[in-house]
Amino acid sequence: MRSRNLELFVGVFILAGLLALAVLAVKVSGLAPGSAGDTYSVNAYFDNVAGLTPKAKVTMSGVTIGQVTAIEFDKMRYSARVDMVINSKINTLPADSTASILTAGLLGEKYVGISVGGDDEVLADGSEIYDTQSALVLEELIGRFLLNTVSKDD
Amino acid sequence: MTDSSDYIVDLQQITFRRGSRLIFDGVDIRIPRGKVTGIMGPSGCGKTTLLRMIGAQLRPDSGAIWVNGQNIPELGREQLFAARQHMGMLFQSGALFTDLNVFENVAFPLRVHTELSEDMIRDLVLLKLQAVGLRGARELMPDELSGGMKRRVALARAIALDPELMMYDEPFVGQDPISMGVLVRLIRLLNDALGLTSIVVSHDLAETASIADYLYVVGDGQVLGQGTPDELMNTDSPRIRQFMQGEPDGPVPFHFQAPDYLSDLLQREHKR
Amino acid sequence: MSVMSRVALLGRAGLDTVSSLGRSGLFLFNALLGRARFGNGFALLCKQLYAIGVLSLAIIIVSGLFIGMVLALQGYNILVGYGSEQAVGQMVALTLLRELGPVVTALLFAGRAGSALTAEIGLMKATEQLSSMEMIGVDPLKYVIAPRLWAGFISMPLLSVIFCVVGIYGGALVAVDWLGVYSGSYWSNMQNSVEFVDDVLSGMVKAVVFAFVVTWVAVFQGYDCEPTSEGISRATTRTVVYASLAVLGLDFILTALMF
Repeated sequence: MRSRNLELFVGVFILAGLLALAVLAVKVSGLAPGSAGDTYSVNAYFDNVAGLTPKAKVTMSGVTIGQVTAIEFDKMRYSARVDMVINSKINTLPADSTASILTAGLLGEKYVGISVGGDDEVLADGSEIYDTQSALVLEELIGRFLLNTVSKDD
Repeated sequence: MTDSSDYIVDLQQITFRRGSRLIFDGVDIRIPRGKVTGIMGPSGCGKTTLLRMIGAQLRPDSGAIWVNGQNIPELGREQLFAARQHMGMLFQSGALFTDLNVFENVAFPLRVHTELSEDMIRDLVLLKLQAVGLRGARELMPDELSGGMKRRVALARAIALDPELMMYDEPFVGQDPISMGVLVRLIRLLNDALGLTSIVVSHDLAETASIADYLYVVGDGQVLGQGTPDELMNTDSPRIRQFMQGEPDGPVPFHFQAPDYLSDLLQREHKR
Repeated sequence: MSVMSRVALLGRAGLDTVSSLGRSGLFLFNALLGRARFGNGFALLCKQLYAIGVLSLAIIIVSGLFIGMVLALQGYNILVGYGSEQAVGQMVALTLLRELGPVVTALLFAGRAGSALTAEIGLMKATEQLSSMEMIGVDPLKYVIAPRLWAGFISMPLLSVIFCVVGIYGGALVAVDWLGVYSGSYWSNMQNSVEFVDDVLSGMVKAVVFAFVVTWVAVFQGYDCEPTSEGISRATTRTVVYASLAVLGLDFILTALMF
């Protein structure tokens, strides 16, 4: 009957819409199931976090191992405190590892890169990464460059 | 007659304005039960508006409309729904639902107002279609029908619930002689066979006068005259006479308002 | 005195607009609230979903494909100057999800489905089908209008999502298969920068708002039009113009609020 075909088409249409939504969720925005949980948190203090935003990725050797969860100004230490969560499977990070704020490509966003240290102790939940390198700010670079140029002329 | 039960519809002192125009000014019309009553008048005098007021699609600014003892403008939703079951209306263009076929169109009021089984509905629909002579067309879609056939199907739909009151809005407009003859016959036949009361709104004099038992002539916001067709044919009133005899000039003038003819012509010459 | 009469004309136009807004508000209220006394609501809705949603799929998919492809093409041309052509994936995705998906879908929907709705309802009014429905005792607002409203509210967001997906894959077709962007970077850059809540869902919110406005305008213009052929054609034009302007205006407001 005509109405059966009709309902079939409408059903297909709605399914297609929902499927598209699912594709958007998974393939386009990278929403992976069960990505929450199974993490431990660490923090680090930076002089300058210029451009780093929450949800930025935390990488090591170029591989994403975690995410920035919060950035706040600490008025006691006069620096920015960055809270991150790291995948629990990566639990052998030495306590003296370095956290640097890097830029992905020329237009890319800021992210946190961790370079391995050599300590026997490992980072645990709530520990602080002591060795940090702040973001490169263009104005400071230019200023330093000009200063060097001027002092060379002397 | 003062016995109101002899009148199925009683319009009392109806006033209706559309914008700034006064369509009706204190009009009284009484429709006798069981008869065919014609409401006639020049185009645009508001005849269709009367039908819409009886059917509660429009509200009069003042006055009462008594149908079978109920004052229509004052009815609540539920009561109006019940009242509409006893009224059938045939619209000028038939107004069939274009997405349903003939059978479904006629079955529509049955499905709305009753909970009859499919078999019963089928029987009733076939009965009504047989009455208008279109039982064989039941599978067709409205756009496959001719104008006259559309109206007959609309008529079958209008009588589907066996109403007491049937209203016809300009049923004869634009019909060929055969369809006209069919419709005229059907209106009278149904009225007598089913014991209906019919109100025919039209400006087709000959056809309406041939089947109506009583006529009202409406114009200028009032009832200009009423009576049986014979009485009106021999009336004294010049306005009604002009209408009934179809005279081009009379109380309704032939010439649209214009300045003096001679001066109009001369003026144009001088403008050169 | 012509200045006075012009002011009077303006005043009357203003009052007409306000009163028509009021009518449309009451119209919407009466159509959506309260249950219909008669009619299989689900079957009616299904029928309209087919007429409005399924039949719009063709234009939405084709448009989505081409827009996605053009975005990738233009994006590549611009980004390659900065050496950042791997970002073309995220550019296409974000543009579509946040702006072009909801807006273009709404505009196309207004033109195709909206004008069809207006014309259909206007014609039903002109041929007195709505009146006869009323005489039989069925409220046309519940039987004719409400299913169409709900069908519009449901189909347009779905169409918008399909548009985005088709566009993103179209962009991938151009960028990866034709222009040589590495497939991995196209998708991973996109996944890294597209947030489900911020981008996808905000786009959906826009689509839902647009669906509401476009369908409401289309259906009301049909219901309110002059029951002549001229009236219907004018109403159809009004639908497309008002709906498009409303979509663009709301887009600005929503973008300012959400992003």
